[in-house]
Amino acid sequence: MGNWQRLVWNQRDALFSGLVITVEICVVAFACAIVVGLLLCLVRMYVRPLRFAAIGLIEFFRATPILVQLLWVTYVWPALFGWPDAFFTAAWVALALQSSGYLAETFRGGIEAIPRGQREAAYSVGMPPLLVFRRIVLPQVSLSAAPSLVNQFTVIVKSSTLVSVITVQDLMFQSQKIVNIWYEPIEILTATAAIYIAIVFLVSAANLSSVPDRKSYEKCAGQPAAAKDRQLTRTTEPSILTFA
Amino acid sequence: MSESLQQILDVSVFWEYRTVLLRGLAVNFYVFACAAALALSLGLGAALLRISRQRLLRWTGTLHVEIFRNAPDYIMVVWVHFVLPLLIGTLLHTRFELNPFVSAIIALGFVYSGYFAETFRAGIEAVPGGQIEAGRSCGMSERLILWRIVLPQVVRRMLPESINQFISLFKATTIVSLIAVPDLMYQVSMIIQQEMRPLPLYTGAALVYFAVILVASYALRAASERWRNKIFA
Repeated sequence: MGNWQRLVWNQRDALFSGLVITVEICVVAFACAIVVGLLLCLVRMYVRPLRFAAIGLIEFFRATPILVQLLWVTYVWPALFGWPDAFFTAAWVALALQSSGYLAETFRGGIEAIPRGQREAAYSVGMPPLLVFRRIVLPQVSLSAAPSLVNQFTVIVKSSTLVSVITVQDLMFQSQKIVNIWYEPIEILTATAAIYIAIVFLVSAANLSSVPDRKSYEKCAGQPAAAKDRQLTRTTEPSILTFA
Repeated sequence: MSESLQQILDVSVFWEYRTVLLRGLAVNFYVFACAAALALSLGLGAALLRISRQRLLRWTGTLHVEIFRNAPDYIMVVWVHFVLPLLIGTLLHTRFELNPFVSAIIALGFVYSGYFAETFRAGIEAVPGGQIEAGRSCGMSERLILWRIVLPQVVRRMLPESINQFISLFKATTIVSLIAVPDLMYQVSMIIQQEMRPLPLYTGAALVYFAVILVASYALRAASERWRNKIFA
């Protein structure tokens, strides 16, 4: 137990400051990813001339590993665009890019799932397109995208461990620094892993409460959620399969 | 700006180091294949544990899934590479070291087994109960029912979902470069240290991964659709 106290508890200030940086990066990246993802999705769906550019960007962000993107943004963008000028900025920009590609596709799925008749009805009562988007499309999309949004946030938290590679002083960086000082990795790395697992677990637990239930669906669409009901009973039913 | 653009478009440095880089890409595929095999088998095991009749086994399966699904890949790779050998060494009272390859495969295999377990479980639970009862009433053993009735359907049902997971596993193989497995990203960093030209090399690496993953995902998706249609129709 002495080791745990010396290597983990006594280092709590460093670990906590790392945790703060991790949270900052994740939150900023997530907010940016939502905005950029929504923009990419709208450009892809409604701006004809830029459609293929948007598809290319979305596919590029989705199909490159986060480590590659992180190093690319950190070392290539400053020469190319003169920005980002700090490692911290580069870290959240890379995380945001990766997630914006995924979120763009999520939003597109949500928008396409809305029955066409609703939009036509809104136009026929004389609502301008922006108002239709704000009042009719966006509320439904945000409901149906909520689980994927939370899921994407857990992906951001997991990927944020990699920003320690470009010397951003997040939780992972601090714990590796402690390893390099004491040369005793067992306790501190186990503790760090446990902290990350706990964070991601708590965030995904939020997902269960954010899954749109029947009430919010009825409030939103005015339809009984019979299909949703069937799904719920399906998962709570005890499985009759017993192999092990 | 235009000068940097010219630098980026300069592919000669890529051509110069083509053998090293291709060997790195092969290492990526090798780590991917081994980790995928490990993840699939562990995932099936955990899924079977999770639907077991015994509470203890069920909890073990749930614990496995919750730990590995929620753990970041990078910290698991680092943990397996630096902590696991020490723990095993203390148990065996000898000096024990893990080859970076082995630790990379173990870490990625375990992390992704958590995701695969959930996919397997969803697939198994989607098989109608009547089929299993029918199998039992014909006198088939549980194991035979699993192999002949359940798993063939599970594999087809979980294909689209598991293709996504294979793709993320392949993307995750890039982080093994951080524990000095000589994959493409590692080779690129080494060449950058020698040539001091990050612009074309990092951009090139990103484009190579982009091309490989894009082609692989479209090809796999098309192939799996054709296979599923042929069998379900």
